[in-house]
Amino acid sequence: MSFREKSAWVTLITLIVLSLAFALHLPRPWTLHPEPSGFMFHVLLIAIGTFIAIEVIAHIAIAVWSPRDANSPKDEREILIELKSTRVAAFVYAFLSLGSVSFGLHIASANAIGIAYLILISFVAAEIINYAMRVFYYRRGS
Amino acid sequence: MGNTNIENRIRRLRFDHDEMTQQALAERVGVTRQTINAIELGKYSPSLEVAFRIARVFGVPLEEVFSYPESARQPSES
Repeated sequence: MSFREKSAWVTLITLIVLSLAFALHLPRPWTLHPEPSGFMFHVLLIAIGTFIAIEVIAHIAIAVWSPRDANSPKDEREILIELKSTRVAAFVYAFLSLGSVSFGLHIASANAIGIAYLILISFVAAEIINYAMRVFYYRRGS
Repeated sequence: MGNTNIENRIRRLRFDHDEMTQQALAERVGVTRQTINAIELGKYSPSLEVAFRIARVFGVPLEEVFSYPESARQPSES
């Protein structure tokens, strides 16, 4: 497994785990009319900080494991995989973000915080799709 | 991309050149070992430049490394 494939796995697993952990801290029942919450803002900051910390530590670890691979530039296949997966993620993000905002405003009458959560979910879902597609293309060959 | 119609004799050529490893070939061509592996298995079609570099490593013409069989499926016209 190349460094960049391992990197994709690390980011994918981290995104999924932290997204689930963040979702578990959301007040129940889940609603698109949440009250402003300093607690949730802090949870979000902790989730972002934890994501960054895990990414840095994990990437240092896998780079130490294969330093030559980590320091080599991306080859054409890796660039192609990144472009293809990012293209898919862009479509997902565009569809989810516009769709969820439209849904929130016109159907669910969501408040501003609810809209913000929908956009955040759209972004995270698109990134999960992005790295899942990278893993898929790496496993398939391209 | 996935599986490609292009066939190659890279593994054979590596064996004939002092059992060159995929890693050694990758370093000389300027790609990763995984890319060489994907090319050998027909899972990835290299760019023209990489194909020429591979042929140059082995000192043979491009056609001796890669071939496009007559039986290959043609892309459907739409």
